[in-house]
Amino acid sequence: MTQDRPDAPELLDAVAEFLAAEVSELVPREERFQVLVGANLCAILGRELRAGDAPLRDDLALMGELLGADPPATSPGGVELRDAVREAEAELARRLRAGELDGDLEAVAFRLRDHVRRKLEIARPGYAD
Amino acid sequence: MGAEGPDEDAVREALADATGSDPGPVRIARIPGGASRETFVAEAPAHRWVLRRDPPGAQSFVPLEAEIGVVRAALGAGVPVPAPLCFEPRGGRFGSAGYLMDHVEGTSVAARILHRDRYAVARGRLVAELASALARVHSIDVEEVAGVARSGDDPALAACELWEGELDRIGEPLPAVEVGLRWLRLNRPPPVERPALVHGDFRLGNLIVDDDGLAAVIDWELCHVGDPGEDVGWLCIRSWRFGNDDRPVAGLGAPAELLDAYAAAGGRRLEPERLRWWEALGNVKWAVICARQAHDHLTGRRRGHELASLGRRICEPEWDLLELMR
Repeated sequence: MTQDRPDAPELLDAVAEFLAAEVSELVPREERFQVLVGANLCAILGRELRAGDAPLRDDLALMGELLGADPPATSPGGVELRDAVREAEAELARRLRAGELDGDLEAVAFRLRDHVRRKLEIARPGYAD
Repeated sequence: MGAEGPDEDAVREALADATGSDPGPVRIARIPGGASRETFVAEAPAHRWVLRRDPPGAQSFVPLEAEIGVVRAALGAGVPVPAPLCFEPRGGRFGSAGYLMDHVEGTSVAARILHRDRYAVARGRLVAELASALARVHSIDVEEVAGVARSGDDPALAACELWEGELDRIGEPLPAVEVGLRWLRLNRPPPVERPALVHGDFRLGNLIVDDDGLAAVIDWELCHVGDPGEDVGWLCIRSWRFGNDDRPVAGLGAPAELLDAYAAAGGRRLEPERLRWWEALGNVKWAVICARQAHDHLTGRRRGHELASLGRRICEPEWDLLELMR
């Protein structure tokens, strides 16, 4: 079923604008920051929805490369994709902690910049510039 | 003050005993914030004090009695702190264990200190004043303060272990933090010959600044014995610069200025590599704290959209950590 417009990110834009431009002016001064946090979360969600699966797919490929794994035969989507990335992240975290990647530490750190940059593009655009 | 706050009449009585004169009716209001301790303003007709206590039923990293001992030692060493007035144990007049201290006027809101015109004079002095305050904190004889945690013979290793353990308790996989932690473990600075008393959370949010500069160092609840570089590195992480990225020291100035002033005030010469190591560790610490706060929200321990939002800030110190490894 297709929903009518506004689509999800457009609705989030509307809520973010309402919170930042109107609600923040109405609440007591000491509550203002909390309202802006809410507006910022809506903006993050909007960017996340617009980006779609692409950052997760890139992350899955990167983690697979760092773990020396074969690329998956089928490309999962949705929740399955998210779980696959999380699993790969957990395995990489485990190997790093165990010292199994000590010989390549700087190289792994350098490659993980892409992973962190992808998170920043959604959560805090401009931070890595 | 409602049922959850300290009793106003009991606080009035404690103030009368401590100062030798009845302050008159006391009104108590909670100061928001404070991760593990509760802070209140106690206002009498002619004077204000601050009451700091353990949340009823909870215990903190540093026992409250030990915190007062540290604040007194800091006062003796010439660190600007609110002078402690009187202590009440658990079950005493403040409900849980707590102490009253002088109220110091000023702000702890970093964004105001860094961006408002009225703090322009203060900003010009703060790097030197922060350096001097830190040098004095670090000069305190650690044998003199009781009940404070000690990081052991290798504070850098102890810090790695502490944050690895906290990450494990949270259970969130963060490979960028792990690669940093591993690198930090393998590249530790040699332990300092003389471990120092470390404040543990030295940044603008835990200082009181007035128009003239530094008025007080507060929130000693994370103090411990360790490497003095820890306080300096933490003060320099990008998250405390609030956009002033050209001024690494808390958004105020240059590290060289801080290190020179620190040495001039009697602190040991901190090597740039040691500072860089603790700055990287500081980013690990901030990333894990963000993950912890988001986790508290997700598990329902404390709910709130601001806590939740911190989960999406983990990537900021992760980025800074990877930058420091280059």
